[in-house]
Amino acid sequence: MSDHFPALLLVAPLFGALIVGLAGMRDHRICLPVTLFALVVSLVSALGILLQVAGNGPLDYFVAGWKEPLGVGIQLRADAINSPLLVVIAVVAILAALFTVRPAGDRDTEKTPHFYILFLLLCVGLFGITITGDAFNVFVLIEVTALSSYGLIAIGSAKRCKVSAFHYLVMGTVGASFYLLGVGYLYLKVGSLNMRDIHQILASDPSLVDSRAIRTAFVFILVGIWTKMAFFPLHGWLANAYSYCPSGSACLLAPLVTKVSVYVMVRMMVSVFGLDHLEANVEWGHFVVWLAVIAIVAGSVKALAAREIKKMLCALIVAEVGYMVGGAWLGDPERWGLTGTVYHILADAVMTSCLFLAAGAFAKRLGAVKLEDLSGVFRKMPLTAAGFVVGGLAIIGVPPTCGFFSKFYLIRGGIESGQWVYVVALLGSSLVNAVLFFRLFEIAYFGKHPVESHGHGDDHGEGHEEEAPEVRIEAAPNALIPLLVAAAILVLLGIFNGPVVEFIRSGLIQSAPIVSAAG
Amino acid sequence: MKAKIYASLAVVITGAVLLYAVTDFPNFGDPHSPANAGVKGGAPSASIYYIENTYRDTKVPNLVTAVLADYRGYDTMFETVVILTAGMAIFAILRVLRRDEDTEEAAPVDRSIDGDHHRIIVGITCRIAVPLIQIFALYVVAHGHHSPGGGFQGGVMLGASFILIALSGSLSDALARLGESSFIRLACIGIFIYAGFGFLPLLVDRNFLDYGALAGLLMTDGEEMARSHSMLGVEIGVAMTVMAVMFAIFANLSTRGRLQGGL
Repeated sequence: MSDHFPALLLVAPLFGALIVGLAGMRDHRICLPVTLFALVVSLVSALGILLQVAGNGPLDYFVAGWKEPLGVGIQLRADAINSPLLVVIAVVAILAALFTVRPAGDRDTEKTPHFYILFLLLCVGLFGITITGDAFNVFVLIEVTALSSYGLIAIGSAKRCKVSAFHYLVMGTVGASFYLLGVGYLYLKVGSLNMRDIHQILASDPSLVDSRAIRTAFVFILVGIWTKMAFFPLHGWLANAYSYCPSGSACLLAPLVTKVSVYVMVRMMVSVFGLDHLEANVEWGHFVVWLAVIAIVAGSVKALAAREIKKMLCALIVAEVGYMVGGAWLGDPERWGLTGTVYHILADAVMTSCLFLAAGAFAKRLGAVKLEDLSGVFRKMPLTAAGFVVGGLAIIGVPPTCGFFSKFYLIRGGIESGQWVYVVALLGSSLVNAVLFFRLFEIAYFGKHPVESHGHGDDHGEGHEEEAPEVRIEAAPNALIPLLVAAAILVLLGIFNGPVVEFIRSGLIQSAPIVSAAG
Repeated sequence: MKAKIYASLAVVITGAVLLYAVTDFPNFGDPHSPANAGVKGGAPSASIYYIENTYRDTKVPNLVTAVLADYRGYDTMFETVVILTAGMAIFAILRVLRRDEDTEEAAPVDRSIDGDHHRIIVGITCRIAVPLIQIFALYVVAHGHHSPGGGFQGGVMLGASFILIALSGSLSDALARLGESSFIRLACIGIFIYAGFGFLPLLVDRNFLDYGALAGLLMTDGEEMARSHSMLGVEIGVAMTVMAVMFAIFANLSTRGRLQGGL
């Protein structure tokens, strides 16, 4: 069975969704166990893939056995760039699943099976996008991901969930169409959909890369993916969609969907178009870095202005996407920027997961929506608050959390490529994050109005079970354990950044050999 | 107004960029274009392979079905999953399950007295048409790998036949034949069939969706015929999902998720 991990990775959540659909409608109690079991199978497969890639190099899997010639069938390909991401997706999905004991708010419990079906289908889509080696297959799985995330956002009972899901739907559809147009134009010129095949064809004929259709295809693919990842001018849909949706959905969507889109961009740049071709033919690379700088600044400013916890976290996601896109486009000869981007995809997924789990726990227990609602939270929920602090420190970039190291590599890339604006923006944004989170920690630690904040709690209460003002009211174990696990991973990923980064770099060098400084 | 100007500007720019690239395209219907023949000096493209080898590999005369259900069957499986996801998302958004709100509209609109007079011609016509549509749909599904057709087309026809029942009679007539629990179940079973054909080869250590491995199970002579029969199998799965989701979307949209009264 170990040869078939790439298939098992996707088939497990797919069958999980079907079982929930067939049996879960009658008996809602089986939904969560089935979901967890399916995701654990995926996690095992992802770990298996990671070990195989670490041992034997890139892993190819030809669906239906159509191997020769390349491009006839569909190829799945795991290498050092995407196999760690598969593990992270599985882990974050399990943490989010643990968090969702009553997913769709208190009133709509009858939609529990629908929620878990969409949850699992979203995981199928994310795994599929990450592992596939086929440019069209990416589009199909983007559709699965997108449709299930619209459903997961709109499943909340509030009207604004529906409105923000609709906004997201319009933007998401435009993004997916752009991607599809790009792939169509590419296919017209190269006659293949297999990523490795496209790369070989483009590499064999330099005039092809320079042709108008291929350039247009690249721009359309890029803009489509940018819409999906909420890169700066195209980020309008994100804040409402992720802050108004049910906490359970937010813990899955916010950490993963944007990050997987960033991965698709990296994959397109590295394995389809080829970095050396892009560097030779794309003259507007530094404009993208400028856009990234604007994204970082805009996200940070918006985060400073935000009055609600989740709105603030969403603004930070926009800034983080700016980090990653900028890092990928730095074009430094040693590829430290790109390394930082790939590492930051992993780090940011876990960070966002940690912070959204904490925000979800605060919302569930205290009804905390606004920043002030957190006052005195250290006294009330010390462990939950500790998890939140670790997440905050990681976003700021304090060692030994992984946030520090990803910023370190990104800044190194910025310095080596001479993109000083990017370096300044990155450092500035870290300062802003420090201000933001220390302000929050201050409110949480020295908060003066715990009683008043409780009044708030009753207004917004999603699940107010036992409310005693002076007693410790730690988050329920199903929220606390995932949060602490996420926090622990943040620290572990930081401490073991050396091997992880070395692993990622081995993959980057394989797909895009580093140009020697002389040549 | 301002938004409209910006929007039209964006549309015009996008269109201009797309047209700018069109001048670089190979001629329409050019047999030597990269998509048809492969790039110059490179290996022949996948289309050449399909044209030359599909019948040898799969014993299916309809190339399109073979590409769709076998060579790129993985894509098609997820296209079907997209349909299931759309159906589930619509359920999640629209379906009203709370009892207290149901009571508001508990009294169903009584159409039987007034309706029968006006609908007699429509009703009889549809009663004759629906079985014919359904039989033709089954033919389209069953014959998809030999002639144009297949699971998506046949499924749409089957779904449309139920919608026709709902339009000509009432939604409750249609729901009596295909109720809520059965369309969720059918949609899931459809993909279960497809993914099941994919999963079984794993048990004998063949790759996912490698239908050739099912030769023993399907008692065919040779792996090619196993591929041909499995394509029929997955098409049936696709048809079930498409039919169920088509009708589910109609039923939910036309009744604002209450699944009663309605049109």
